[in-house]
Amino acid sequence: MVNLTIDGKEVKVSKTATIYEAAKEAGVHIPVLCYAKKLLPYGACRVCLVEVEQMKGRLIPSCTTPVTEGMVVTTMTDEIRKVRKTVLEFLLVNHVVECPVCDKGGECDLQDLSYEYEVVSNRFEGEKFDLPTDEINPLIERNMNRCVLCGKCVRVCDEVVGYGSYSFINRGFETKIATAFDRGLNCEFCGQCVSMCPVGAILPRPFKFKARPWQLKEVNSVCGYCGNGCTVTLGTKDNEVQTIRFNDKTGVNDGNLCIRGRFGYSYVNSDKRLTSPLIRKDGDLVEASWEEALRRITDEFRAAGSASGFISGARLTNEEFFLLKNLAKAVGTGNLDHSGGECYKGLTEGLQETLGIKASTATFPQGEKADAILAIRTDFYETHPVFGMVVNQAVRRNEAQLTVIGDKQGKLTRMPHARTLLHKPGLEVNVINAICHVLLDDGLVKTEGLEGLDTFKKALADYSPDAVAAATGVDADAIKQTAKELATAENAAILLAYGLPYTANSKALGLAAANLSLLIGAAGRSGSGLYLCGEKSNSQGAIDLQVLPSEGALGVAEMLSSAAEGKLNALYVVGEDMLVSYPGKTLVEKALDKTGFVVVQDLFLSETARKADVVLPAASFAEKNGTFTNAERRIQRLHAAITSPGEAKTDFAIFQALLSGFGESAPATETEAFTKLAAETAGYEMVSLDMIGDQGYVWGSDILAPETRNLVAVEGGTQLDARFQLVTGSALYHSGTTSLHAKGPMAVVSEPYIEFGREDAAELKVVEGDTVKLKAAGGEIVAKAKVDRRLPKGVLFAPYHFATLGLNRIYSGQTAIAVDVSK
Amino acid sequence: MFKEFAKGLSITLKHLLPGNSTTVEYPKQKLKMSPRFRGLHRLVPTQTREKCVACYLCPTVCPAKCITVESTENEQGEKYPKVYKIDLLRCIFCGYCVEACPVEALEMSDTYELANFKREDFTFEKERLLR
Repeated sequence: MVNLTIDGKEVKVSKTATIYEAAKEAGVHIPVLCYAKKLLPYGACRVCLVEVEQMKGRLIPSCTTPVTEGMVVTTMTDEIRKVRKTVLEFLLVNHVVECPVCDKGGECDLQDLSYEYEVVSNRFEGEKFDLPTDEINPLIERNMNRCVLCGKCVRVCDEVVGYGSYSFINRGFETKIATAFDRGLNCEFCGQCVSMCPVGAILPRPFKFKARPWQLKEVNSVCGYCGNGCTVTLGTKDNEVQTIRFNDKTGVNDGNLCIRGRFGYSYVNSDKRLTSPLIRKDGDLVEASWEEALRRITDEFRAAGSASGFISGARLTNEEFFLLKNLAKAVGTGNLDHSGGECYKGLTEGLQETLGIKASTATFPQGEKADAILAIRTDFYETHPVFGMVVNQAVRRNEAQLTVIGDKQGKLTRMPHARTLLHKPGLEVNVINAICHVLLDDGLVKTEGLEGLDTFKKALADYSPDAVAAATGVDADAIKQTAKELATAENAAILLAYGLPYTANSKALGLAAANLSLLIGAAGRSGSGLYLCGEKSNSQGAIDLQVLPSEGALGVAEMLSSAAEGKLNALYVVGEDMLVSYPGKTLVEKALDKTGFVVVQDLFLSETARKADVVLPAASFAEKNGTFTNAERRIQRLHAAITSPGEAKTDFAIFQALLSGFGESAPATETEAFTKLAAETAGYEMVSLDMIGDQGYVWGSDILAPETRNLVAVEGGTQLDARFQLVTGSALYHSGTTSLHAKGPMAVVSEPYIEFGREDAAELKVVEGDTVKLKAAGGEIVAKAKVDRRLPKGVLFAPYHFATLGLNRIYSGQTAIAVDVSK
Repeated sequence: MFKEFAKGLSITLKHLLPGNSTTVEYPKQKLKMSPRFRGLHRLVPTQTREKCVACYLCPTVCPAKCITVESTENEQGEKYPKVYKIDLLRCIFCGYCVEACPVEALEMSDTYELANFKREDFTFEKERLLR
């Protein structure tokens, strides 16, 4: 710790702090343009100049100067004021003053400073910038005439996102920020640069000319897309979400968002939202009153009793899950499941068998301090981009060694000194087993307290690095090296994402990841962790609340197959477009056709809803109060920002009405529901709503210790023998099927595609944009080709989000699909 | 005292003489308003469009909350007011809007005859304000 004096105030700060940070801690305001909390100090703008007693004679930039013992700092004198004013005058020589039409006007740092320092005239003359604006991309508007060259966009894109879109080009007065070859932006469109820009040079295009910053009402909520649980601050006006505001004070994401969080909000305002209940009459869905719809549902489900089923998506709040469980109980059925049952039931089962818990063992902020990171599947960045940014920071700032086990390349594999264990599709478990084999064979890890070691060792005999290398195509030395690093790392992190397109091998993968984490001691050790990241915003909540079939009852897969046999009389589907996103479309189709009475509760008239007998209009995350539990077990609060369109109701209100229809009492408010659910949910017992502050509340504390330490032998996958193998997964720009109704993600990726590696494309003479046909057992899919360098030879990729592709006609949960390619 | 009384009365009587009256026979005769008079608002047009750039400063400063602006982008990519509306029934003619305007797109004219028969007629849309 270092003592110093700032404006007469005694301050004690850590010795790595800068003068600016020390002043901030002391509550002394120093103006800045180029400083940002999450970026490294840069010192570009010279607005933060201060006087230091010990360095008299010149002014010192406070944001780059580290504190020293006994420093005496003055942050405001006549000279400083004069110099800062001059700096602003310099900036305003070239800066076009178009505040009335600039969307930043009202929250612009340069505007505020000019006002504060009364820069009303300029002693200097120069030409105003007259550079072309970047009008090509759909989401981020760049107007370099307003740029003050603070370099924040350059730095955030490099340091946090790891994409590196921007750079300074030219010299002197000509200097500007540009993309490669000054061609216009074509990137991930995460909009981090938008959130960082202190002036109006980089702005969100969807928000262009929509409103002024001071007109927006800000409501903090939790993003409704993935399990990362980022705080999104909704800027609302006229009962519409107009934009997402920058907020690095609340939540776990430090102001970082991905394209879905920042630009994917518009589905909330969509005019295609359902606004009234629909009932099928004479074959057509017609608008009906709530009373009629609810009465119909109560009657049918009462009649069906135990021959009914409930399938839920994982984007309901914990409170809604609680009511749904009660509703299933009231109906008298145990057939209750969420999408997890379909896609990662095995995963949680696997974890339960080994670790005795069903959640991540550590929190995201700890991930940033990891020394060795193992990401299973390259798609991790695609499903959880903001945690991907944490990984990027660990790699760049702390020189963590990142290893990726994946069947394709991706954003993570391109990170500095990242090692990719590129295997043939479906063989992840083999590679993990090989790592375990090395760990045990070379005696790299302590094995005290681990149960089932002997059988585990025996089962691993076939997975020597060389054997696995031969089978999977991964370099044996790389496996050995990875094992060594994981074993010796002080802090190790193992990342595993799950979701609807990753149904295959899920139990084996859960077991393998848990085995590995037990061996290297990552589970339960402070600083280390096994991260289990759900695809949907409340996947973890659904697991915690056990929205799962009761003893002997049916899970999603069984429900669908018994429904297809006509054994279910009533089916209730909440927030899930099964026909598009579930593997095995034929089965789902048949199940929906054969079931006597189907209720779909959703935001849109989805394909599944079109087949329903009653459709109920539900509310989006922006219209709800409640809590989500994110992938690191953090319970965070949602706040309703707008009201639902038309007669749409929150899922909570719908379940309440249905429960009272069944003569059951329901909690009157979300608050009451939380109190009740906390009492009966393992891990939540001690949690009350007022404990959930701005940073949420992590149940089971930051490090969740495993209850058991069983090693369970797990068999590796087998390789599919086909020239072309199609794998599916998530695309970075989309999440589930909801984002297909959002303008932002759709502006970037609007239609399905089939991705080819360069080699395959050359061999097949496929070029970008060609229409290609993939034929597989069960059907064929047709889409435009995309050629990239991500995929190894023989592997093709198609995202699962798009209804028009009909991928689930050929995808029924297998690791890879053998396909024939034709043009 | 009488002297002062007579003096005062003479001034009064003088005003009764023709040509010395300060009142006018409204509506037959109308006064010329001072240039600073705050009458009906006027949006200043340019050759091709309104001068207003829809910066929202006038509705923000308006104490009576009588101005409605909705901005959007035109074909040239410029910001313009799709809707510009003043509810004169709420307006208190304080002139803050004119003062706030950064591009001198809003003026207050000398029109003060604003009586009307229907409430709706007091809502001045963009077209009526652009004169």
